[in-house]
Amino acid sequence: MLNEDFNIDQFKKSWQEQPVSDVYNTSEIEGMLNKKSTNYVKYIFWISLAEFLFFAIVGICTIFSTQRSNSFTNILEKLGVQMNDDVEMNFEHLYFALKVFSLLITAIFVFLFYRNYLKIKVECNLKNFILQIIKFKRTVNLFIFTNIGLLIVFSGIITYFIMNVLQAQNIHLNQATLIGFITGIVISIGLGVLLIWLYYRIVYGIIMSRLSRNLEQLQDIENEKGQ
Amino acid sequence: MTLGFKFGAQEKIVFSHSLMSAFSYLRSLISKKLDSKQKEFSKLVKENQGLIIKVSRLYTNSLEDEQDLFQEIVLQLWRSYDSFKGQSKISTWMYRVALNTAITLFRKKTKSPQTDELMDFHHRDYVEDDDEKQQQITLLYKVIKMLPKVERAIVMMYLDDLPYRDIAENLGITEVNARVKMNRLKKTLKELMTQHA
Repeated sequence: MLNEDFNIDQFKKSWQEQPVSDVYNTSEIEGMLNKKSTNYVKYIFWISLAEFLFFAIVGICTIFSTQRSNSFTNILEKLGVQMNDDVEMNFEHLYFALKVFSLLITAIFVFLFYRNYLKIKVECNLKNFILQIIKFKRTVNLFIFTNIGLLIVFSGIITYFIMNVLQAQNIHLNQATLIGFITGIVISIGLGVLLIWLYYRIVYGIIMSRLSRNLEQLQDIENEKGQ
Repeated sequence: MTLGFKFGAQEKIVFSHSLMSAFSYLRSLISKKLDSKQKEFSKLVKENQGLIIKVSRLYTNSLEDEQDLFQEIVLQLWRSYDSFKGQSKISTWMYRVALNTAITLFRKKTKSPQTDELMDFHHRDYVEDDDEKQQQITLLYKVIKMLPKVERAIVMMYLDDLPYRDIAENLGITEVNARVKMNRLKKTLKELMTQHA
């Protein structure tokens, strides 16, 4: 009956007359308004907010912590540097400037992140809706890449600072120490970047692939015109 | 001084009482306004629930997910209710919110069911009165759900008799693209019907 001369237009009447107009009453619908929403954007929002808070708290804590200057001092002493007020003060200033810069970047991203979240309007068309979510997510991605970038740049600046101190105190590292020092820095940075990348693949992988798939479908439809 | 202090304390009591009554009056006023807004909204959703139910069925494979999706769409409609008022047609607003929620936002709880379970799910409303029209609808759901999510939306809006202009606007594509795609989908659906009817 259906397959031989199937024409979807013949189904319109049946489709429109489905018994679906009286399933829920008004009190059931009102009850739904007090339920909790569980959707992907909300999920991204809370995860991202937790990330921002985490980075901000870690940043603030390290500014006021004395532990890292001790560990830095230890590294310098192991390299044979004579610790004096000048070296310590220069490092304090450098470290403070880097952290303030890092927190400033975080603050800018919190603003951008919130602004893009507010721009997501569920009542706009599907394509814009997906693009708005992707744009929001991109802000989070950019924040992460900036943090990775800052990690690399800060490590570079601190290494440069150490090299300058070594040069000023006329200390020549033997090849084994130098290789160990550089290898340590490279491995630490590499491990940090890998862990951050893995984390984002796991946390955002599903939702991002879903958004991309939907957007691809829309783009395919747009491209079909010319075929 | 003592008199002044007593007078001050009394004043404070009178002031705090007035403040509390003002707050409770304001709260009851807001609550009444919210109640009437919720009632107005619920009535609107009830009158147009067919659209939401159809979307919920097209994008889920279990009754639990269908009910959850219905609820999520209602919540999203409620959140965008203020921005909707007077901005567009009710149907446009509802289609957009329902489809955006189903296609992009919704998180399913249940895994994909077996084919038999799926057929039972779609056939549940039609067991008692199993006429040809209802068989057609069951089969339509089954076949449309084989399409990718965005294409499902096009077919649904087409079956609901939305003009191509509205279909295109709801998805953010051009009217020509919507028309071309629907013509191709007619062929795809015919093939699927042949294979699965």
